[in-house]
Formats: sequence, C-alpha cells, structure tokens
Amino acid sequence: MLREVAEQLDRWMIDENLRLADDGLLRLKPCTIRALGQAALLELGLPVELAATQDVDVRADYEDAVRRRFAELLRARGLELDPLGHEIWMPSETRYTSAFQGKFVALMLAEPEAILVSKALKAPAKNRVLIAEYLTVGPTPRFWQLAKKYRLDLEVFT
Amino acid sequence: MIDYQGLVARAKRKMRVVRARRGDARYVTVMGRFVREGLLIVNHPLPLNDEPLALDDVLWAGELEPRLLELLPALIVKRPGLFTNVAPLPPDLAPVVAELRRDREPPAFRGIPGRDIHRWLTRVGRRGKVPARLKSFRFTPEDQRLLEHLAAKLEVTETEVLRRGLRALV
Repeated sequence: MLREVAEQLDRWMIDENLRLADDGLLRLKPCTIRALGQAALLELGLPVELAATQDVDVRADYEDAVRRRFAELLRARGLELDPLGHEIWMPSETRYTSAFQGKFVALMLAEPEAILVSKALKAPAKNRVLIAEYLTVGPTPRFWQLAKKYRLDLEVFT
Repeated sequence: MIDYQGLVARAKRKMRVVRARRGDARYVTVMGRFVREGLLIVNHPLPLNDEPLALDDVLWAGELEPRLLELLPALIVKRPGLFTNVAPLPPDLAPVVAELRRDREPPAFRGIPGRDIHRWLTRVGRRGKVPARLKSFRFTPEDQRLLEHLAAKLEVTETEVLRRGLRALV
C-alpha cells in the first residue's frame, strides 16, 4: 500500500513542479521517505500474523507541502501519518531497502530485524506475541546480531 | 550468551497456545469488527462483521493482540455504540477512561503506556474532537436574558456564546 501512495505522491510532485516552473516559482525538492514500524513490516511481507493500527511512522526529508499531500493520500486509504513517527528509536545501523524510486520520491523500508528489535526494546508489552511468533519462523543471523548488541532480553517474550 | 535453540523451542510452545486461542470465536469476532471499522489492518484473511462487541471479549482478545487494548479506552469514550456494554468497567480500565474523558493522559493500561492510549482520542470517532463535558451554572434572570439576546443576535447557540466569551477573556 505504501508503494502505491509513494507512486501517487511522485505523480503529484511531477505535476506540481511543472506548475511551479510555469509560474516561475521554486520547485519542490526530491525527497526520501523511510518507513518504520508496523507499516513497514506489512509492506515487507513478514511471514507472521500482523495487526497494525492506522498509524504510519516515517522519517522523511520532504518539504511541508509534500508532507501534507502525503498525509492526505494516506488518509484517503484510512491511514494516518503519525506526527511523532520520526521520534521512533531505531538501531543506528538499520539498513533500508528501496521499495519505490520515482522522479522525486524515494520510498525506503527499514529492515525487519531492526524494526523488531526496536519494538521489542521500546514497546515489549505491545509486541510480545509478534516477537514470539517471529522467533518461531526462523530469526535471521542479523536479528540475533542486533538482539545481542542491544542486549535484548528475549526470555520475556517466550 | 543467548540460548538460541532454547528460546525458539519456548517460543514455539507459546505460539501453539496463541494459535489455538486465535481460532476462538471471541478473537475472530473482535478482530473482524476492528478491521471492518478500519481501526486495525491485518495481513491475513479474517471474516469481517458488524456485531456489537462484548467488552469482556475485547479484553480477552487484547491479551493476544495488545493493539486492541491500546484503542479500547478511546473507543469507549468516542464510540460506545461499538460495544454491547460499557459499564461497569473493570477497576483497571475505569480510571483510564475517566482521564480520557477529561482529555488527559491516562495511566498505563495492561502494559500499554498512557501516552499511546491518549493519542487515539482525537483519531477515533469524529476526527479531531474530544469529548465535551456537561457543566451546570446558576444564572440570574438578567444573565439569562443577556445570553438569549446574544445568541439571537449572533445566530449561534447559547453554549457558543459562552465559548466565545471565555476565549475573549483569555
């Protein structure tokens, strides 16, 4: 779903920049949207049963007009851009994969292992079943590596 | 030293219980209603329904999906019609709902931080709205006449006259 929204946002930016250029005004700058949290997990197709609220957490370097349009596009799909999404703690070595690359919009998804470690550390009560289920589907070496580095007590989830 | 195999084995035992409980009609009904209302998004097939939910069933299902517990207090305040009953509330839920009714950050509820619960108040039901509270005042006949006169003159309700008056005094 986020990919489609990013695609729509890119089309809107193309049109908007043509209009701004015609009017002799400054054009909107290209931006990168990094999706975090449950929205990214849903997009990544993790093989566990996921439930997410309407919140979409992102870190992005877009201009305010682009943020407002992004929020509108999400709202049209019943989603809500979390105004505090950028405050989410993520491991400093989090890797991002490209989910969409348009002319002006790049959408990146945080790696699932980093998202899960972040959730387990910062909101264990809300994610106890998610982490337990992930442990049953075969955690990757990357997950164990991050769990060890951040001293994640996985016993509490089992 | 992490005991990888032991952890995975314990997680598998736990998940056997969780998966069995996910098949319970209470969980399926509650999740189906929350998804139908657009309150939750899931990545697996689920029968949707529009049945009113028993509060006890939501609390039970919330043990498996804590996001239900995160949304529940705001829904009790803003959309009580979703539930067959919203009274009496369990002793740990009542103060959470009471604080939300005052648009204040509630205490944590079953492991969910109050901040996470509070943010749903303006997002569920009528967007951006917080619950209004009933307050009683004693007015003199002159005050009443003035209130009625201003309401008629400005073509607004008497409550709106008071709201505007309060803001003018800030």
